Amino acid sequence: MKPLGPVEIAIPFFILAIVLEMFWARRRSPRAYEPRDTLTSLALGTGSTLVNALTAGLVAAAALWLYQHRVATIGWAWWAWIACFVLDDFNYYWAHRTGHRVRWFWASHVNHHSSQHYNLSTALRQTWTGFFALSFAFRIWPAFIGFDPAMIVTVGAVNLVYQFWIHTEAIGRMPRWFEAVMNTPSHHRVHHATNPVYLDRNYAGVLIIWDRLFGSFQRELDDEVIHYGIVRQLGTFSLIWSAFHEWAGIARDLWAAPWRYKLGYLVMPPGWSHDGSRDTSDAIRARWQDHNPA
Amino acid sequence: MALPFLAVQLGVSVILILAVTLLAVRLGLGGDIRLGGEDEARTLARAALCGFEPVDTALDKAGIAALLRDAQGRVMLLRRHGTQFAARLLDSHAFTRLDRNFLTVGTGERHFGTITLDLGGDAQVWAASLRRLEG
Repeated sequence: MKPLGPVEIAIPFFILAIVLEMFWARRRSPRAYEPRDTLTSLALGTGSTLVNALTAGLVAAAALWLYQHRVATIGWAWWAWIACFVLDDFNYYWAHRTGHRVRWFWASHVNHHSSQHYNLSTALRQTWTGFFALSFAFRIWPAFIGFDPAMIVTVGAVNLVYQFWIHTEAIGRMPRWFEAVMNTPSHHRVHHATNPVYLDRNYAGVLIIWDRLFGSFQRELDDEVIHYGIVRQLGTFSLIWSAFHEWAGIARDLWAAPWRYKLGYLVMPPGWSHDGSRDTSDAIRARWQDHNPA
Repeated sequence: MALPFLAVQLGVSVILILAVTLLAVRLGLGGDIRLGGEDEARTLARAALCGFEPVDTALDKAGIAALLRDAQGRVMLLRRHGTQFAARLLDSHAFTRLDRNFLTVGTGERHFGTITLDLGGDAQVWAASLRRLEG
């Protein structure tokens, strides 16, 4: 029998934490959970696990191919684990940032954001189409420079497990030193918000330093009421529509657009349109800044 | 060997999902959320679409939806979605139906659905206003 990975080991704790957060919500914030939304989120998580299990072999084969053609051999020293983890978190940052800025990748990632709630069940609201979108390419390239694919998979799983606990409103702020370096519930609430000031900010996985370094950091503001979800809220709990709605949108746009604009509907930011009839997050933020000059 | 393990994993996951959802229901999470008034509807409309500044609002009597118009003549439908609200700008009257005080409004999006608002005497005024939209 295959040994359990970090995610499989964590699943019982995920469930326990969700149950505990539900009891917290009953006392403090009953609207933090909506049973139909929770059902959709958890079903998306289960579907994602299933798809990942079915496609893991192909991703592993691609990583192994890169490793066979590696330029160096890094091995299993303790420092290699730390280097691999930091490099993978850096890769996660850019994969995630691309997932918000390129519609092809956004179509895969959007369902993680399509809940209007922000609770621990939202963390499990994962994509079904990440493999199809080829998002894994961002994460496996370190095999080419000599990191063992098993190490890459393990640190990637630890990264995913870390991100579970930050999907909550039950925790306010962590100590200042922690908020400075690590991704936290406060930082990630900003990431899930649709408020113009928060759009496309805080892409970090574990280390928030990447956002600080690359200019995408936004701290949570005390006087800003957060609205979660996506700019154009789905307005449905449909599981299938949640998983595929943006792909359907891309297909509609590709069909309708003049030939010279078709590629734009795949590679430009979400909300881009060739006739300017829609809003990207940059356009929304610019309009908000016009209305709210600093 | 791998496939049966996957099937067991799926079966256990489905049972856990249903158990957690049932617990959320039993704990009374979610609830029957209504708009508290026109101010709340306007705040939600502003949040739904940056730059939308309502100048006219019609609130459903049960507080489950609202219609709002801005100075540019754009009309927004705000309707309950679970414990939150979702909005759409209306661009057609094709999915609008008036029945005395009740105005049924749709967007043409199957998943967004239609909603019937009890607007009292305002229903006819808003129906006429929506007829000015294309299509």
